[in-house]
Amino acid sequence: MSGPPTNTIALELTNIGKAFGGLLAVDGVSLAMRPGERRAILGPNGAGKTTLFSLISGEQPVTSGRIHLFGHDVTRTSAHRRAALGLARTYQITNLFPRLTALDNCLLAVQALSRTKFHLHRPLTGYAGHFVRARAVLDSVGLAVKEGEQVRNLSHGEQRQLEIALALAGSPRLLLLDEPTAGLSPAESQLMVGLLQRLDPAISILIIEHDMDVAFEVTDRITVLHYGRVVADGLAADVKTNPLVQEIYLGAAEP
Amino acid sequence: MARKLSVTALVLLVLVAVALPADAQKGPIKIGFLAPVTGGAAQVGKDMVNGLMMWLEEHGNQIAGRKVEVIVEDTQGQPNIALTKVAKLVESDKVHVLAGGLFAHVGYALAPRVDQLGVPMLYPVMAADDLTQRKPTKWVVRNGWTSSQPNHPFGEYVAKTLGYKKVVTVAIDYSFGWEQVGGFQKTFEENGGQIVQKLWPPLGTTDFAPYLSQIKRDADAVFALMVAQSALRFPRQYQDAGLKARLPLLGGGTTFDEFVLPSLGDEALGAYSALMYSAALDTPINKKFVETYRKKYGKVPSYYSEVCYTTGRWINDAARAVGGDVENRESFLAALRKVEVPDAPRGPVKLDAHGNPVQNIYIRKVEKKGGELWNTVIHTYPAVGQFWKYKPEEFLKQPVYDRNYPPCKAC
Amino acid sequence: METFIRRAPRAAALVAAVLLLALPPFVSSFMLSLMTQALVWAMLAMSLDLLLGYIGLASLGHAAYLALGAYSVGILTTRHGADFWTSLAVGIAVAALGAAVFGLVALRATGVYFLMITLALGMTVWGLANRWVSLTSGDNGIAGVPRPRGLPWDVSGALPFYYLVLVAFAVAFVVLWTVVHSPFGKTLVGIRESESRMRTLGYHVWLHKYIAFVIAGAAGGFAGVFWGYYNGFVSPADAELATSVEILLMVALGGRGTLFGPVLGAFVIVLLRNVVSIYTHRWLLILGAVYIGTIVYAPEGIIGMARDWLKARARAPLRPAPSP
Repeated sequence: MSGPPTNTIALELTNIGKAFGGLLAVDGVSLAMRPGERRAILGPNGAGKTTLFSLISGEQPVTSGRIHLFGHDVTRTSAHRRAALGLARTYQITNLFPRLTALDNCLLAVQALSRTKFHLHRPLTGYAGHFVRARAVLDSVGLAVKEGEQVRNLSHGEQRQLEIALALAGSPRLLLLDEPTAGLSPAESQLMVGLLQRLDPAISILIIEHDMDVAFEVTDRITVLHYGRVVADGLAADVKTNPLVQEIYLGAAEP
Repeated sequence: MARKLSVTALVLLVLVAVALPADAQKGPIKIGFLAPVTGGAAQVGKDMVNGLMMWLEEHGNQIAGRKVEVIVEDTQGQPNIALTKVAKLVESDKVHVLAGGLFAHVGYALAPRVDQLGVPMLYPVMAADDLTQRKPTKWVVRNGWTSSQPNHPFGEYVAKTLGYKKVVTVAIDYSFGWEQVGGFQKTFEENGGQIVQKLWPPLGTTDFAPYLSQIKRDADAVFALMVAQSALRFPRQYQDAGLKARLPLLGGGTTFDEFVLPSLGDEALGAYSALMYSAALDTPINKKFVETYRKKYGKVPSYYSEVCYTTGRWINDAARAVGGDVENRESFLAALRKVEVPDAPRGPVKLDAHGNPVQNIYIRKVEKKGGELWNTVIHTYPAVGQFWKYKPEEFLKQPVYDRNYPPCKAC
Repeated sequence: METFIRRAPRAAALVAAVLLLALPPFVSSFMLSLMTQALVWAMLAMSLDLLLGYIGLASLGHAAYLALGAYSVGILTTRHGADFWTSLAVGIAVAALGAAVFGLVALRATGVYFLMITLALGMTVWGLANRWVSLTSGDNGIAGVPRPRGLPWDVSGALPFYYLVLVAFAVAFVVLWTVVHSPFGKTLVGIRESESRMRTLGYHVWLHKYIAFVIAGAAGGFAGVFWGYYNGFVSPADAELATSVEILLMVALGGRGTLFGPVLGAFVIVLLRNVVSIYTHRWLLILGAVYIGTIVYAPEGIIGMARDWLKARARAPLRPAPSP
């Protein structure tokens, strides 16, 4: 399903837009990421960041523009096929399988890209390989001891970590992280930053983040969205000093 | 210790009681009665139970010198429940005879099961033609009627006596409706009439406006076959649509039976219908029956009550013929088939060679007497069988009446 | 204590299995017929639970598959003298085909809309049963369906037939148990818990639902085959909305999302309906009270209630269960 790995471009958005009725939530956004690139998307609430993620992941169709993923035109491709190409995402509002155990959550993520997901002739317990992989993923986010716990009984911080674990389970090449530290305490945030920094450098990461410190620690490039448009794009240091950015985002959003 | 002993004694006693052979002495004659006591047809079910119970009470709950025990089981109007309950009545309750049931499909469902169980069953109400025509069964004895039976004479009466030439039929769309219309159409057309239109509202229809507006206005009359809640609503809507004044209303027996009449008003006046019973039947036996029934249950008996009342008599006569030995099922069955009731409230009744009653069919007209609606009998066709004037062999060659048989040539 | 609580469900299942196996020769023929019936309904309820309990799709048209299976038997045995295996294969195939067509329409919707569409689809089968008279005999139904033929032993008696149905039930249970515990079964629960997450993980959610929908239909048809043989009669009543509602209530009453729940629900309702109605004509009231009681006090059904009770005991072994 996935083509030959391209060294050139992981994700390319060409002038994509999304209209809800008369409202342009995303308005002509263009953006390119090379493999291994770490980029943050900043912008005030309602800037269209999460919508942009949904367009990239394929959960919502674009109204204009084109999307390329690892060299494939995926503009009209469904979400599950984009996932098969190596795309994974997390959600700002935790989106897990609450009445399943942490391990089951990871098992679902592990088998998502395998043919075994259609196997219905023998119990899942017979698939030892899946369990090994699921436990490894769980361990990588520090949740190994919680594997038998129902997810709805986990703490918020643990649920945020599990969000990352699910996204990592399929060995993605491009990771979309929607505010991974939302609602975390400073200590938990620091744990999350450490987790993100330890990820395989070959993975490209696009991250929506409100916490500037987190954004600067984890990424090297920043794109600023405002009313669905890109208003600034560049190295972290440059964007930080961009007066427009300071006015609309840093000044306004940080009380 | 004493406690332990008494418990042991008790257990022994129970064991002895259970182990005693059931036919050590002759117990009561057990009748298993099936009726829809709950659900949409519960009121019909009550009329049925009332009828049977009344006969038994009038005769001291005794048949052929033995006490009678009636076990009423609720079919809920459902064939699969009826199937379960009939097995329960025979296998657990060990009834000697079965009776009752409502709806054609329940009748068709039960017949083979009754044959399997090998216990005679009377069908006083379930009227599907083929149960005594093309698909007869050994153990089912029909002492009621076939759907088309009253309408064979009625079709002739409408064509010859009432003189209508073109009739539109509006009938509920299921086998009972098809068979009623089929019987009417056959004799009506053979006597010079024409069915010019057939309309089929589905079972449970309560708003007839779409059908009433389609009725051809150049017809002479409308034949309506209604049941239950449809029968309650149709005549009023027919009048409100301005049709009553232009096209006289004819009906199948259930359209205007005593079950619905108390709920109808003047809109029903003047309607003609045919059935083997009318509560207004002017015979001493029927007058006494109606009077007693009204006193007991506070309403006029319907044909459901009458046929089940006569079912009590039927079982009695057969049981006496075998000297009370209802345990001998074969001879009891034979006796049930030989019963002749010369003086049932509805008139004389006996079975034909195919096991369906030969009985009077009454042409009835809805009239008001003493502030109440009654089906006044205006003509009697005596001793009508299910094949009317046709030779059974000839009649059975035609298919069973359905939606498209006889075909509507003048539609 | 801990181990007792973990073992309790397994022990209960074992006791139930032994009773189903050993009890029938000693019960009255009426009770035997009720047990046979309950097993058929249990198969149906389990098949619906695949949708309701595992994917979270409440279908109001499940009686359609019962009817498709039962009518296959009715038509094939009475008109073509078909043996058991032919009837069984055709019954399952016809129901699966029906589900394959219905699934294309119904799975476009979720929630209440799914409920409405399945209701409408179920009604079309009921309508066909009523109107396609040349095939189905209309509302007269098809009578005289013989007991299964073509099996190595004679099952015409009530007891052997019961054991045939018991074997069928065991097969249905094992098959459905394997499905819900398979990797595929896990994906169904994932869809119930979060469809959007499943999609971005890489699952073709619709396809999984569709496969499950067809399996549920086929299993419903499997039960329908035995229903046709059991009654010896098939009629449009089998496809009625009331039948679909009853199957749904069995699942809800017993406890959805477990295979034992629907089985328990089926037995309780069959017994209530047939036994309580012998003693009182107010049985509908009792049944209604049971339903309302379930919804109010045990939304997860009897099994869910038992599970909570066991858990409460595990947490506070010395104190009685906390009052609500």
